[in-house]
Amino acid sequence: MNIEYLVIVIVIMSLATFATRLPPFVLFSGREKHPLLQFVAKYTPPMVMTILVIYMLKGVDFLAMEGLYAFAALAITIAFHLWKRNALLSICVGTSFYMMAVQW
Amino acid sequence: MIRTVLKTTLPICFGYLPLGVAFGMLFQELGYPWYFATLMGVFIYAGAAQFMAIGLLTASAGFVEIAIATFFLNSRHLFYGLALLNSFGNWGFRKLYLIFGLTDEVYALMSTIEVPEGYDKSKFYFLMTLFSQSYWVLGCTIGAWTATQLTFNTQGMEFAATALFTVLLIEQWIKVRKPLPFVIALIASAIALLLFAQHMLLFAISLSLIMMMVLRSTNQKVRNEY
Repeated sequence: MNIEYLVIVIVIMSLATFATRLPPFVLFSGREKHPLLQFVAKYTPPMVMTILVIYMLKGVDFLAMEGLYAFAALAITIAFHLWKRNALLSICVGTSFYMMAVQW
Repeated sequence: MIRTVLKTTLPICFGYLPLGVAFGMLFQELGYPWYFATLMGVFIYAGAAQFMAIGLLTASAGFVEIAIATFFLNSRHLFYGLALLNSFGNWGFRKLYLIFGLTDEVYALMSTIEVPEGYDKSKFYFLMTLFSQSYWVLGCTIGAWTATQLTFNTQGMEFAATALFTVLLIEQWIKVRKPLPFVIALIASAIALLLFAQHMLLFAISLSLIMMMVLRSTNQKVRNEY
């Protein structure tokens, strides 16, 4: 346990993390209207969202019970969202179901 | 406004609280005072990186190694700002804080929702970021504080993040209504999982962006429709 070491690590990690979030705003400031940038701005969110969902599910073993629960919870979340289009409700219902299933 | 922002960010709360608690509990095993878990949530504010930090601290890793590992672990964030260049105005320090707080969840939410009519955009975004970080910091602190005496069983609560991204994916579909970016992301993810499962996020995001831009510059149909 070395407090000085920990403090330096926290400073380094803070700067390194910020360094990954800042560049687009510095590099492209004032060029927001460029057609290619607008194209990228429009289509990165749908791509990133697809990739994030796959990323979250990649560790799930779909041949185990856990996989069945995850699959059902996902189906419930999607169904609720298509039905009510209330993000909070869909997430609550899906997550509660998953929690009950894995804790039982 | 506060109530609306709370409602908007509540899904993030469900994801961040249990994850933060899990981090705090693990961090506590290193034997440092509890408030360092809080400080890490305040200054680093990156879930995966903080979990990695536990391993690095245990191994007494070198500073250069830590800097490089953190940068690469979070490098997907390099692309997040691209979608928000137009959304953020010249808001001085407030903008700097928004950039600092651009995590996966905050980015996903910000790039999908519209700020409701009648609200000041910079204030709305600022509160969204501030609340989201508060959930994370609170989680880290509670975890380190209570360590082993936690009575509430949070097992399975981590599904909230998956559910949030799924809901936002549906919203993106409703917004975009064109299959190409989703199909490209699927293909890129499959390739990334096969080749670079360790760095799947960064690889899949870069690859899908490259594929999308190549298609745009070589295919007339894509250029006209997208």
